[in-house]
Amino acid sequence: MTDSIDRRRFLKVLGVTSAGAAAVSACGIGPEPTERLIPYLVQPEDQIPGTATYYATTCRECAAGCGVRVRVREGRAVKLEGNPDSPINRGRLCARGQAALQGLYNPDRIAHPMVRNASGKFEDIDWDGALQRVTAKVREAQGKGIVFLTGAEQSTFGDLVDEWMKQVGGRRMSYEAFGFEALRAGNRMAFGTATLPTYDFANAKYVLSFGADFLDTWLSPVEFQNGFSRAHAFDAGRPASMAKFTYVGPRLSLTGMNADEWIAPKPGSEGLLALAMAQVIMSQHLARVPADASKLVSVLAAHTPRAVAQVIGIDEATIARLAREFARSGGGLAVAGGMATQAANGAEIVAAVNILNYVVGAVGTLVKFGADLGVGATNTFADLATLTSEMTNGRVALLFVYGTNPAHSLPGAFQQALGKVAFKVSFSSYMDETAAACDLILPDHHPLEQWGDSRPRAGVIGLQQPVVQPVFGTQPTGDVILKLSGRTGTFQDYLQAKWRARHGANFDQYWMDSLAKGGVYGEAPTRPVRLATTAGNFSTTFAEVPSWGGDGDQTVVVFPHPALHDGRGANKPWLQELPDPVSKIAWHSWVEVHPDTAAKWGLATGDFLLLQSKFGGQKFPAWITPSVRPDVLAVPTGQGHSAYGRYAKDRSANAFELLGGQATVYGGRSFIVRATASKTGEHQRRIATIEGNARDLGMGTTEVLPLARAKALHPGDHPFHFEETPEYAKDAVEWWAERQHEKAELGNYKGEQPRWGLAIDLSKCTGCSACVTACYAENNIATVGEELTERRREMAWLRLERYWRVDEHDNLQGAVNQPMLCQQCGNAPCEPVCPVYAAYHTPDGLNGQVYNRCVGTRYCSNNCPYKVRYFNWYNYAEKDGKYEAFPEPLSMLLNPDVTVREKGVMEKCTFCVQRIRGAQNQARLENRNVRDGDIVTACQQTCPSDAIVFGDLNDRNSRVFELAGNPRGYHVLAGLNTKPAITYLARVVAQDTPGNG
Amino acid sequence: MAETPPPTTPTRVTYDYVTRTIARTLSTPSRGYFLLLGAAVALLAIGIVTLLYLLRYGLGLAGYSHPVYWAVFITCFVFWVGIAHSGTLISAILFLFRSGWRTAVYRTAEAMTVFAVMTAGLFPLIHIGRQWYFYWLIPYPNERGLWPNFKSPLIWDEFAIGTYFTVSTVFLIMGLIPDIAAVRDLATGWRKKLYALTSIGWTGSNEQWRHYSRGYLYLAALATPLVLSVHSVVSWDFAMALVPGWHATIFAPYFVAGAIYSGCGMVITLLTPIRTLFGLEEIITVKHFENLAKLCLLTGSIVGYAYVCEYFMAWYSGNPTERAAFWYRAFGPYWWASWTMIICNGFLPLLLWVKKIRTNITALFVISIFVNIGMWFERYVIIVVSLAGEPFTKWANAVYNPTWADWGIMAGSFGWFFMWFLLFVKNFPAVSISEVKEVLPPPRSKPSKVHV
Repeated sequence: MTDSIDRRRFLKVLGVTSAGAAAVSACGIGPEPTERLIPYLVQPEDQIPGTATYYATTCRECAAGCGVRVRVREGRAVKLEGNPDSPINRGRLCARGQAALQGLYNPDRIAHPMVRNASGKFEDIDWDGALQRVTAKVREAQGKGIVFLTGAEQSTFGDLVDEWMKQVGGRRMSYEAFGFEALRAGNRMAFGTATLPTYDFANAKYVLSFGADFLDTWLSPVEFQNGFSRAHAFDAGRPASMAKFTYVGPRLSLTGMNADEWIAPKPGSEGLLALAMAQVIMSQHLARVPADASKLVSVLAAHTPRAVAQVIGIDEATIARLAREFARSGGGLAVAGGMATQAANGAEIVAAVNILNYVVGAVGTLVKFGADLGVGATNTFADLATLTSEMTNGRVALLFVYGTNPAHSLPGAFQQALGKVAFKVSFSSYMDETAAACDLILPDHHPLEQWGDSRPRAGVIGLQQPVVQPVFGTQPTGDVILKLSGRTGTFQDYLQAKWRARHGANFDQYWMDSLAKGGVYGEAPTRPVRLATTAGNFSTTFAEVPSWGGDGDQTVVVFPHPALHDGRGANKPWLQELPDPVSKIAWHSWVEVHPDTAAKWGLATGDFLLLQSKFGGQKFPAWITPSVRPDVLAVPTGQGHSAYGRYAKDRSANAFELLGGQATVYGGRSFIVRATASKTGEHQRRIATIEGNARDLGMGTTEVLPLARAKALHPGDHPFHFEETPEYAKDAVEWWAERQHEKAELGNYKGEQPRWGLAIDLSKCTGCSACVTACYAENNIATVGEELTERRREMAWLRLERYWRVDEHDNLQGAVNQPMLCQQCGNAPCEPVCPVYAAYHTPDGLNGQVYNRCVGTRYCSNNCPYKVRYFNWYNYAEKDGKYEAFPEPLSMLLNPDVTVREKGVMEKCTFCVQRIRGAQNQARLENRNVRDGDIVTACQQTCPSDAIVFGDLNDRNSRVFELAGNPRGYHVLAGLNTKPAITYLARVVAQDTPGNG
Repeated sequence: MAETPPPTTPTRVTYDYVTRTIARTLSTPSRGYFLLLGAAVALLAIGIVTLLYLLRYGLGLAGYSHPVYWAVFITCFVFWVGIAHSGTLISAILFLFRSGWRTAVYRTAEAMTVFAVMTAGLFPLIHIGRQWYFYWLIPYPNERGLWPNFKSPLIWDEFAIGTYFTVSTVFLIMGLIPDIAAVRDLATGWRKKLYALTSIGWTGSNEQWRHYSRGYLYLAALATPLVLSVHSVVSWDFAMALVPGWHATIFAPYFVAGAIYSGCGMVITLLTPIRTLFGLEEIITVKHFENLAKLCLLTGSIVGYAYVCEYFMAWYSGNPTERAAFWYRAFGPYWWASWTMIICNGFLPLLLWVKKIRTNITALFVISIFVNIGMWFERYVIIVVSLAGEPFTKWANAVYNPTWADWGIMAGSFGWFFMWFLLFVKNFPAVSISEVKEVLPPPRSKPSKVHV
């Protein structure tokens, strides 16, 4: 043992070395200090270090109730993935769902109960003390008005709140900023039922949306997107056809830009268009019209295309054509919602669209009543307005707020009314505007930390279980309420008891099965509905397009932000940094202005515009875009928080403040308002990425095929000329290929290795950007903040390029979205130029990027024609650094399988190499080959429309091999002979009218 | 050092006059000199502070934005490498061609070359992301078990610049030996010791002169190809990449011509004040300036031709990306940079066809400043504008704006260069004593008191 190093000596050397390293790194240059790994002293039974455990639970980021599986590593939740068992999201997840982790580990969570002291400041209080206060206040307030306000909460927790409120003589109300009052009222008008149906997009043959943004914010976006992409894709398995999608609305939303055709009638006149279409269908007998629809004939007679064309601003021929297309498709599905239904006549519009669905027989087949979506049970805006006035009049003595932030999204009157309530208790885990106005905060566990369930629709109960130990000293509100109501046991017991009541026999097995599966997934039978006798009476209200509340010469449409929604996403840096799918703007708000309007006003993109309505004024930087009607200005919600943590606070403007507090006749809220617009003279430097259409900008990168052309393609066809090597280059390319083959003999670069590849179907991709956030989550990508985003230093390995699609008259018809990521070229330009072999070619065809070897010459990025390499300009992981991306405890969600990159190195998409190696290791353990489908990249895994397929291009039986051979397939910039591993399948546009991009 | 009243007529330019005039440049510096040196050191200090910031916080302080990943630093790198070119051209190539006029200017040009390469060499180190690992680019057997990638033009660069620096330094030092010996004989105190050491025992014997002139000739022959190779290799940093605006076969000659053009410009910029301040009008005459101007005219015209070629090829090739790149260059958001470049480098040298301008020192000085500006912008346009407007992925196009960190490092590089240059001209003969004498008529009357 004399000349070998003993343990003590080794540790000594180690200590000295790391002290030296620490001294060097203290100046901020040089490598990071070595950190030590601490083993488990007592290893938990179900935890194997280095091996992930998955727990099924339910996503609570919105009311859709998607099932998720949480990937837990060493006690930390590191990734959310869709639960394939869930009938709602079928294993997919949206960007907001992905970002739930940043809610769990949010650095601005409230760690302990807090109470407002005499001086008006919050101070810490212990749980017992806090509960005593609440008990006292409840006793005090009994009979003077107790209200418990929740978000959309169709759950056992909601039942518990109801029970408790009954016990103390209060009532529960629920509030969603973007409610579905119009949908409920419209359904009542047409069918006599105020419930919300579900829509079967997957089996539709023609989709017609009247403002319903079913791909981004409407009802159940992941489910609808999944269904829609099945119908709308140009798939090999179906007869070569696709459902056409026509979007009717004043601006192109994420949903709208996926349309094959965009119709922009005057806002508020959408219902007339639906009625006129129904009139054409009935009068020309285009569809097998249900017998009881005959009572509509006389009503519809007043709404011939000729009669309404003038009012809605769409010519007669187009209306007739749309009606024909819709009816003759034999599976037309019309949906109404979003912008179209948030006006004074929203309910009538829904009813009109219901009639349109009814006359083509879609009701009962594609529109399925009986689902009774849970979100349809929230209180209406009118109820909230009543609550506000009750609060103002002192008729509410005690207010509890749980899971909603009304002070941000409700009119200012609510904020003032809050002051009139004697005692307000918030259960928010974040210091949002409502919590900041409360007297006592009892922070709730995050949904990933607690038991619960969710009933998004009839037949489906998503179960929610704690997947990690609580991060902070919070307590689940269920437990708190049980304690307050004097009951014993935890909410878990309560939940189980309720479930036991529903399913007594063999309960333990049932419970364990449900837990493993993520819930109870059944389907409610479709409830037949008939046309209400009064249906059609409403049509008289369509005589003219309504005028909006307030004065001012501009019509301003306020719409929900696809990622931040009503503002609840604003405290999550992933969602803030996610460019809006349409405007590509991140970290701030904007106002959409049509180029004609902008020219009239002398407005440039980035100039601030002050919008002043009767109810409030806010300024937004202008984004000049053809995707909005010239007579409309559009503003997203989501920003403009006055509280809600470091990422949300004081960022841009709150669009809700433009809106009035007057409920519409059907009890909803009007999101369209009249306002004046004036320039302020300020300017925001970078507001959006590049503008332009695919023809100009996507030169050789984005391909679009008209449906007729796509149908005519046969296997082996090559519609894209650049895919073929030109005659003059053939010799050179063949010579090159031969040399490559020879070289492959050196090292292990021969064909026996897999060649990992990706196929991306642009016909399926909607641009929803779930993949972008999934990639951030999987690969520890740093968020860089607003300042650096403006300087184009965002690190998104995967970006979505949105190119407008125009017809031959340059009229905007929609957009093509193209995910752009490292193409893992076979002949990669980045590799030979790296002087230190940091960029190198792996035997399985990946363009490896060795962070530890990189010195940061950045030559690789210059030489990359796809521009998908991103550089660490700062140390984004530096603790307390100016650009720290993972402040504690946000760093807990870092994926331990992926390196956190240092300042000064290049990074890029790796095809989730950690997943590839993981699957290969697993296969080796099981003594088998990797099977097709074993490896699923993060982007593919989350993609709601199944647009991305990963696999081995050398495996002739793989899905990706099949797709790569599709005649629609092409390689971006194939002419550069880079031999990309990604095959894009051209977007197919279903448009029978001549001319599209 | 002995003071001699300056001669008034050229006829008095004798061996003795030359020695004394040039030796006088080494006399106690004036306040003006210290002011200049102070300014240079101050600029250098700005550069050093900026560099410390870059090291501490990262390159993000500079203006980089995706996809402009090379910008002002690499622009400065190429600018300084270019400056370095005329030195060897004048000292080696013109030596081989036996151009007598070079004798008066070549020392300055050579010193400029060495200091410019020293300046240029710093930029690749500053611009990389992890500056503390710069040695990973150097090929030597190492514990990492990894050689650098010899396919990478950056490694070629390293060799080209390294060789050039070595050879031009040796060339400068060798040329200095007889002159140092000459001033050694006039010097006193510590300078005497310094010059005695650096003149390595030069006595001016026939034997020494015979070996010296042979050696100088061979070294000149060795240095000559480097004039062409260095900037050719630097140009391949760009030409080997597939960026439209970079990927062109014309780059090597185009860059070499540009480098000599900028180098001659810088020589004029440096010589004008030196000549006036040190009273060297008799030795560095208008004729010398005119010859430098002619060299500028020639190389400037080649550069102008290269510009025309680039645009013509962009159009003639029919390659849409190439066309888009050059359209962006001329009419995109950086049109001002491109037109500065074209006017300064394409049109300005045409003024030199006029003899009156060519022989007017003031006019030449002004033109030389614009040559420097124009050539800096040429590199800026090639690097920044090509990257910012790369037509392959229009989506990723960006507008780039330099920040204080870019300007700080650039200022530091000027400070570094001028500091060395000023120290040099005060400590070593900035004009070759021995070679100037070679082109003078041999003395007929009594020999000078000083033996060289």
